[in-house]
Amino acid sequence: MRPLDPRLLRYARAARRFLLIGALLGLAQTLVVIAFAWLLTRAITLMVAGQLLTEIMPTLAALAGVVVLRSVLIWLLEVSANRGAAQVKSQLRALAMAKIAERGPDWVASRQSARLSTVVTTGLDALDNYFARYLPQLLLTAIATPILIGVILWQDLASGLTVIVVLPLIPVFMILIGRVTQAVQQEQWQALQRLSTGFLDVVGGLGTLKIYGRERRQFDRIRSITEEYRTRTMKVLRVSFLSGFVLELAASLSVALIAVSIGLRLIDGALVLSVGLFVLLLAPEAFLPLRQVGAQFHAAADGLAAAEELFSILDDEAESAASRVSRPAAPAASTADVAVPAARTARPADELGSGSGSGALRLVGVSVRRGDTVVIDQLHAQFAPGELSVVRGVSGVGKSTLVAALLGFVPVTGALTLGGVAVPAGPGRSWLAWAGQKPGLFRGTVAENVALGAASADPTVSAQTVPAPVLVAKALHWAGAADVSPATVLGINGDGLSGGQAQRVAAARAIYRALANDCHVLILDEPSSALDADAEAGLIAGLRRLADQGRVVIVVSHRAAVVAAADHVIELQELTHV
Amino acid sequence: MSDPTLDAATRDVLRLAQPRPRWFAPGLLAGIASAVMAVALLACSAWLITRAAEMPSLAFLGMAVVGVRAFAIFRSVFRYLERLSSHDAAFRQLAELRLGIFRRIVPVAPAGLASTGRGDLLTRLVRDVDDLQDLPLRVVQPLLVGSATALLSVVGIWLIVPAAGFTLLVCLLLAAVLGTVLSARLAARADRELAPLRGALADEVLEVIENLDVLTAFDALNPRLAQLARTDARLRRATLRRSVGVGVQSAVVSLFAGTATLGALYFGIPALDAGGGLLSPELLAPTLVVAVLVPMAVFEVFGMIPLAASAWRQVRVSARRVADVVPASPPAEIPVDVLDPRALLRHDRDAFVLELTDLGAHWPGQEKPGVAGVSLRLAPGDRVHLAGPSGAGKTTLAQALVRFLDYTGSYRLGGVEARLLAQTEVRRMVGLCEQRPWLFDDSIRQNLLFARDTATDAELLAVLARVGLADWAARRGGLDARVGERGALVSGGQAQRIALARALLADFPVLIVDEPTANVDSAGADALVRDMLTAAADDHRAVLLISHTPVPDDLVTARVTLPARSAAATAVSPCGAVRGDAATS
Repeated sequence: MRPLDPRLLRYARAARRFLLIGALLGLAQTLVVIAFAWLLTRAITLMVAGQLLTEIMPTLAALAGVVVLRSVLIWLLEVSANRGAAQVKSQLRALAMAKIAERGPDWVASRQSARLSTVVTTGLDALDNYFARYLPQLLLTAIATPILIGVILWQDLASGLTVIVVLPLIPVFMILIGRVTQAVQQEQWQALQRLSTGFLDVVGGLGTLKIYGRERRQFDRIRSITEEYRTRTMKVLRVSFLSGFVLELAASLSVALIAVSIGLRLIDGALVLSVGLFVLLLAPEAFLPLRQVGAQFHAAADGLAAAEELFSILDDEAESAASRVSRPAAPAASTADVAVPAARTARPADELGSGSGSGALRLVGVSVRRGDTVVIDQLHAQFAPGELSVVRGVSGVGKSTLVAALLGFVPVTGALTLGGVAVPAGPGRSWLAWAGQKPGLFRGTVAENVALGAASADPTVSAQTVPAPVLVAKALHWAGAADVSPATVLGINGDGLSGGQAQRVAAARAIYRALANDCHVLILDEPSSALDADAEAGLIAGLRRLADQGRVVIVVSHRAAVVAAADHVIELQELTHV
Repeated sequence: MSDPTLDAATRDVLRLAQPRPRWFAPGLLAGIASAVMAVALLACSAWLITRAAEMPSLAFLGMAVVGVRAFAIFRSVFRYLERLSSHDAAFRQLAELRLGIFRRIVPVAPAGLASTGRGDLLTRLVRDVDDLQDLPLRVVQPLLVGSATALLSVVGIWLIVPAAGFTLLVCLLLAAVLGTVLSARLAARADRELAPLRGALADEVLEVIENLDVLTAFDALNPRLAQLARTDARLRRATLRRSVGVGVQSAVVSLFAGTATLGALYFGIPALDAGGGLLSPELLAPTLVVAVLVPMAVFEVFGMIPLAASAWRQVRVSARRVADVVPASPPAEIPVDVLDPRALLRHDRDAFVLELTDLGAHWPGQEKPGVAGVSLRLAPGDRVHLAGPSGAGKTTLAQALVRFLDYTGSYRLGGVEARLLAQTEVRRMVGLCEQRPWLFDDSIRQNLLFARDTATDAELLAVLARVGLADWAARRGGLDARVGERGALVSGGQAQRIALARALLADFPVLIVDEPTANVDSAGADALVRDMLTAAADDHRAVLLISHTPVPDDLVTARVTLPARSAAATAVSPCGAVRGDAATS
């Protein structure tokens, strides 16, 4: 594990500022520690020498000042660590969200979205402890330890040398013990993994166990799982606690060595009390930062792991390395490279604005590959305006990939034309309205959901010609969702609607966009999978009206009623070759 | 640490988490020994040096030299023993804790656990239960060790310089009270101010990431990202405002540690001349130096107490969540066995009829019934499709039929009212394939065997063949293939088929299949429904298929449709010419 990832400084400007401020505060703190030890020694020496309280008072006053200064510095360091963490998290989050948006839906689809959003939100909270506990100690180790050792050496060479000899033993033993711990842990890893989820397995499956009358038998199972978990974990802990043992032993034993050696030299008169006491007070302080770094090892590991996950979003290296590897293994790429520029020459791309398309959507030799697998190979298809086209095929044949390709979410090779005009690559297709397999609704009213993106699209077309509420009602009606009130307020992710209602509202959203922006093409992916027969019939009627207005309407569906209503059915075949 | 707001249920949960004294004591004693030796190490070193400066003969220092070395070594040894012993005790108690919680969950699961529909709730419950281990480890242990060491040190110093001992006591108490009160205040304020902002940010991030395709396709991505940036900025500003308070607690503890040292000097210096602590008539310089330096060591040990206070807050939250999810006594909507000795179920399969008359059921804590007014008759050989929009109460009905939920109206099995029968008896006759069948992280064999543990491998393979999984099981490497954590290595359709195989093994006369296609992609759904109904209906079994999607006529003998929100009675329509008399209302 690297103590400090340089990428953290590269991506987050606030981290650099925190390091600078932290270093200054650490330096100040070191000076305060030395001043405290020196003043305390002085007060005690004066006291032992039999001075009166009034004569020692100035030293005590200075000591009080140092005590106040010390606590102010502790406060400042925590405040700056907290601020640093907040700012770094905010900066990293903004970068990550921009990067995720740039990488697009297809990239997100290949990852768990819940996992991704955890990385960007609560995952980053691990940086709090990293900044508040670990980094300050790391800075102190770098700043305070050499200064303190220098002072001890200057005061008493023998004690200084003791510290210099013992101090490096700490990281050496930590590493050695860490290795052994890792070996023991790896031995137990699988068993521990399974045992640690064993209780969840029983609790989660309790309903199932009750159905089969097995719930009473689980008590013994839980006891044995937990008991085995204990014995195995203790086996690991016996080794891993050794690292803490070594840390403490090294620190306290070296203090003991210094104390005894100073004591013996004081008897001989080779040393004076003021030096001996001063060194005795400073010695533990020299070990403290390094001990704290060791103790905050977990805060550091968690923080760096969180940062690492975020960097996996931000860094391009992994991505480009993967594509470099896959390129030679793709023989079909050469034909594809020819096809794309050929298609682009058809007509300038920007003439393909909303409402301008009038012809058919045509796919000529369109292929899509994901990694090394060809998902769609040389597909030829034509979707005519005014027709309801249905795409079907067995699961895994590439229906969803086809939709993603039409949306511009995945790169395609071959020619994709609308009314004879080549469609430019990438998302942002103003002539296209779409509803996906999952509803994808947002917090807000149904009306806001249905009119999504209307404000940012073309305001001259949408809001002014038809009043939005009327259009929203019309879209809901055509989607067979007239029973859903536009004023209904939805929770996060459209919470509050049944599966069927959400699906119809999503369809209404696509229909609204088609009507408001006069989109020429409407694509619905499995729009009726959660609908009963009546609702499905309502939706089909709405789609028919949209087709009758001269639009290209494409529905991916396997439902009999949808297929029966189709003007044109495209059957996607499974690829027989790889 | 007692808190008046702790309710009885939370206290019960906490009590389960604290190991019994016999397990807990060794770790506690080792901890106190280690902490006392840490203080003694500094005290002994200081005495050694100051006494040595008086240049006595070496013989006077022999004990101190031995003491310094012994304290240094045994302090670390006892600390190691403390950690081992206290962890061992906490793990031993974990078994008791889990069993105690499980004992409470069994009668109410699954319907009585607050909104179990969400899988993450159970995960959190289990994590909370495991987090309760922190109670002995990070709350009780450091609290007792810290207090005991502080108390012993205060007494020791009080014996040397009474006023200095008193100063130390006051400083410790003030640091403890102010430290914990301040940090509690700050944590509460953070919860109040920052938690909603954090929650809002997390919600927005999740919405944007999950629906990136929608936002991109509808040209709505940039406004959403801008909105997200505004929420993030609000959270950042609130965090920065709050940051001023964060370091106050450690600053306060450090301030009082310094004050205790100053106090010892201030009261100690005159005492050296005046002489006379309680220990000896004449106060010697080395003894006084011990009194001056010990507070530093005490405060180092004492630093664990504010940490224990913040650990206590987390433990308390976990305990409260566990207490909330797991009620001490089952809610009224969960059936409790009231056995009627005259109610005997006849296990005559051919005549085993399930009859519902005006049946209704409530989910715990819900005012409106989840389902109401259902009348239905299921005879051997019937295959009834129960349809209805989502939210109509189809799953509620299924939960009531296996007695996970209590019911109103009449539910008769073979002519006997179900509420007079033991729940286990009802479940022996009426089986359920759940919407999300639970697969245990074990082999295929173990996932089948618990349905009938006498089954031979040949029987298991035969039942897998019946549900269309023979090839799949063979490809996966036979009955010993593992299904992964929560069935991660198995698709939704395969999980349903395994669930059906279990039900076939258990040989329920009546089988309810709840939305088998809910987690199956739509193309595979039809084949799954067909295979399941065909396999389930083989043995003259009565099957109730719950599904919101249409089912082909030839597969079922009757249809029942629950109206939306179960307004009135159910409409039962015989299905085609197959068996007109199958279901009557």
